Amino acid sequence: MASVVLEQASVDLAIFNSRGRALKSEILRRTIGGDLRDERDRSVQVVRALDQISFEAHDGDRIGLIGSNGAGKTTLLRVLSRVYPPTSGRAVVDGRVSTLIDLSMGMDTDATGYENIVMRGIMLGLDATEAKAITADVEEFSELGDYLSLPIRTYSSGMMLRLAFAVSTVVQPDILILDEIIGVGDARFKDRAEKRVQNMISNASIVFIASHDNGAIRRFCNRTLWLKGGKLMMDGAPDEVFAAYNPEEHTPAE
Amino acid sequence: MSLVALGASDVAGGFKSWRMWWMLAKNDVVRRYRRSRIGQWWLTLSMAAMIGGMSLVYSGLFNTPMADYLPYLGTGLVLWGLVSSVIIDCCLSFTEAENIMRQIALPRFTYLLRTIGRNLLVFGHNLVLLPIMYFLSGSPVNWYVLLFIPSLLLVLANLAWAGYMLAILSARFRDIPQIIQSVVQVAFFISPVIYKASQLRIDHPLLVWNPFASMLDVMRAPLLGQMPSLWSYGMLAALLVVGWLTTLAFAGKYSHRVVYWL
Repeated sequence: MASVVLEQASVDLAIFNSRGRALKSEILRRTIGGDLRDERDRSVQVVRALDQISFEAHDGDRIGLIGSNGAGKTTLLRVLSRVYPPTSGRAVVDGRVSTLIDLSMGMDTDATGYENIVMRGIMLGLDATEAKAITADVEEFSELGDYLSLPIRTYSSGMMLRLAFAVSTVVQPDILILDEIIGVGDARFKDRAEKRVQNMISNASIVFIASHDNGAIRRFCNRTLWLKGGKLMMDGAPDEVFAAYNPEEHTPAE
Repeated sequence: MSLVALGASDVAGGFKSWRMWWMLAKNDVVRRYRRSRIGQWWLTLSMAAMIGGMSLVYSGLFNTPMADYLPYLGTGLVLWGLVSSVIIDCCLSFTEAENIMRQIALPRFTYLLRTIGRNLLVFGHNLVLLPIMYFLSGSPVNWYVLLFIPSLLLVLANLAWAGYMLAILSARFRDIPQIIQSVVQVAFFISPVIYKASQLRIDHPLLVWNPFASMLDVMRAPLLGQMPSLWSYGMLAALLVVGWLTTLAFAGKYSHRVVYWL
């Protein structure tokens, strides 16, 4: 059974300029540079991307993440996919996680379509036999046919996305993470792609969808988290949260 | 969990993800030589050219017969190639995997194993030169050659802790790879790669306190039909213990921050 528990999880991101990244500067700063009382390194700025987020998710939860740009949605998604360990607090994520954020992660442009399928399969945690077994499924879904024997640098961007999408969606995860509902390719492929994603959503134990499309969230989610400035403002049923979110976001400030 | 235990679980996790790093390592080598005539055998060819050229010149300079110098230099260069490239490449293990690190969560040590794996593959391609050299120069090969594998493992185990620590530091301080390149370059000239250890007196500090000299000794001597010195083994064993304890604690504390430094 998959589960997600976050307790006061925070993420502090340090922004380095080129001086802050040099060992030489660090040694100088600690030995002879600057005011002796000034402990902080002024060439490093810290941004609190997530501020003490606490919530739990269990089997059956379909959670939408809403918030304006820069609110911390993508950072939270990264914490949920275990990529960003929280800098304070705890985040315990149990279960196989699949993120459909960057579809073409790790593709080798000089390798053939078939070779990339096996590579991505291994990155998704399959062993060599399983990775070869998914080839048939990916072939059939992407409908790229003989092009799969060619290096993917010869593909158009649409073809590349079809392959990336097909491979990314072949393994059914326990926890599915989406950054916007994906719509790729031409109209026909878009239909099949949407069906495939919906299938993954229904078969997953827990789903997180970050989206600006309130309609999509109403359709897929039974719970919504509203993030603002890294803080969790509200956690509840989609309609309740939208009622609180929409008036706020539409106050004429601009 | 203590810091050392945290570090150890990361290392164990790295070994468990062998499918991932082995695939990446193989692909790294294949990718470099795609669409070239002889593929990755260019590695072997360029190493052979360097060995041939250097041994011609330096055997003359040192007044040693080629039959004696060629196997010594050739073995030394191939072994040095492994040691130096592992150290230098490991500095970039995390920065080169930035893309993957931001998408999927894997134990950090996986990326070190990828770098070491890739360099072992390159080393394997260069190793084929050794039997050819030994045959041409009539170099003796005896039972001591069985010590080579354990020596190689001992050296790799040492390079692994050093690489891990350097990788973490290099993710934070981006000038470290350059510094390490310079250090390794200097080490090449002061270690007995080109010159023979016997040309210095036996207790010379450059031989006694130089870990590179120990690494070369334990791997090269068995291949040339000699017994490596116990001092070399002792030094590497001591470095192994101290190095790993330090690195595991360091990694336990800092390896989680690496993704934030990328």
